[in-house]
Amino acid sequence: MGEDCTEIAVEVRELTRTFGVRKALDRVSFDLPKGAFLSIFGPNGAGKTTLVHVLTTLTAPSSGTATICGLDVVEGAVELRSRIGLISHNPLLYPDLSALENLEFFADMYGVQDAADRVRELLVAVELDHRRLDLVRTFSRGMLQRLSIARALLHHPDVLFLDEPYSGLDPHAMEIFDSLIAQIREDHTFVMISHDLSKGLELCSHALILARGKVVLSEARSEIDEERFVATYRSTVGTGVS
Amino acid sequence: MSTAAEKPRSLSWRQFRAILRKDIVMELRTKEMVTSMGIYALLTMVVYQVALSQASEAFDPREIASGLLWLAFIFTSMLGLNRSLVHEKDQGCLEALLLSPVDRPVIFFAKAIGNLVFLGIVEMLTIPIFAFLFLQGSGYAGDWWMIPLVLAAGSLGIAGVGTLLATMSVNTKGKDFVLAVLMVPLMYPLLLAAVSATTTAVLGGADATTPFWQAMALIAGYDGIMLVASYGLYEFVVGA
Repeated sequence: MGEDCTEIAVEVRELTRTFGVRKALDRVSFDLPKGAFLSIFGPNGAGKTTLVHVLTTLTAPSSGTATICGLDVVEGAVELRSRIGLISHNPLLYPDLSALENLEFFADMYGVQDAADRVRELLVAVELDHRRLDLVRTFSRGMLQRLSIARALLHHPDVLFLDEPYSGLDPHAMEIFDSLIAQIREDHTFVMISHDLSKGLELCSHALILARGKVVLSEARSEIDEERFVATYRSTVGTGVS
Repeated sequence: MSTAAEKPRSLSWRQFRAILRKDIVMELRTKEMVTSMGIYALLTMVVYQVALSQASEAFDPREIASGLLWLAFIFTSMLGLNRSLVHEKDQGCLEALLLSPVDRPVIFFAKAIGNLVFLGIVEMLTIPIFAFLFLQGSGYAGDWWMIPLVLAAGSLGIAGVGTLLATMSVNTKGKDFVLAVLMVPLMYPLLLAAVSATTTAVLGGADATTPFWQAMALIAGYDGIMLVASYGLYEFVVGA
């Protein structure tokens, strides 16, 4: 309980999740060292989102184990939730609350100490302090995503999950998003789902291809032969989904 | 790295207040739930009046007034309960809530209390209209204190069980239909006891106290059992 993220931040063993007779995840195993950036690729329906849902405790596994910072995703779920953050293509923000109210609400939910200072610090960091009193429903997609980053970082998580975070962002918003990620890169471990091969490979230290719920390829970035990797990815997209 | 070092009990209380405050602030801003529930209740009253407009002079509306009133509350609450969870589904907010280190029963109690507050507001708006339309001139013979008591106890049951059922149905395709199908049979004992207690309160009489408390005991038993069951089931329901 309450262990620090030392060597291994994410440890997944024989993880399986079934929905009825369909196996969304089929004995998935991998390790991720602390401070690493894992990009997960795969066609639609490959099990990427299910994997992130299991790792973020939103869905229980059918069998197998997964631990993050030494905390089991089932047994240690409540404590684990204070160690992880999620930035999704969905902003996960209340449209009828202001930016400030949203962050204050989530600060309360995470039990953040000195919440007012932390909220202000993050609003400044994501360059939304001047819009803090505006309702979130008036924000552009890029602003929503920046506020999402602030929400996800409120409680100083150790591991950040990014679920297709670039989806719907224009090039300028992508640049801002990249620079924010670069600023926090050193202090966090990342797990990102992406359909964008070049972006995913540019950011990652480790890459994994999922297809039909199984790990097709899992390698450190330094070992990746890009041509082979792209060919493997294309063949998984071509062979369809689970 | 994590800063969530608050004691579990005080953190749960902070989370409870945050969810309740958030729901109230959003409702004050949008007025979606109370407005839609209030208009629906008002329209129901108009329909009732049309339905009873041809009743004979000898007909005493007080005999069916309580039934009509609770029917309006049940249907009105369905509308509001659905809205309260749809807010959470918008832009994945329920997911964000579930990602936080909050015990699921804390979410249940905060949502249920919020729904109880909104239902209470609608009831306070509805009852004077109802009394004006249906009880005017027929005389109120009961004890006035019985009415708020039965309303509070009945509404607690509706809000508690309704919050659980609305959470179950929010992910389904026909959530309005599913909520109604689940809610009406489950609420049947509560409805029966609430109508009985309210009728006793409206009609009054020297021997009204005993049947009133008997009905209230049924409501209290229902509330207790269903709230404990909802508390226990909520984790399973939101995780399903």
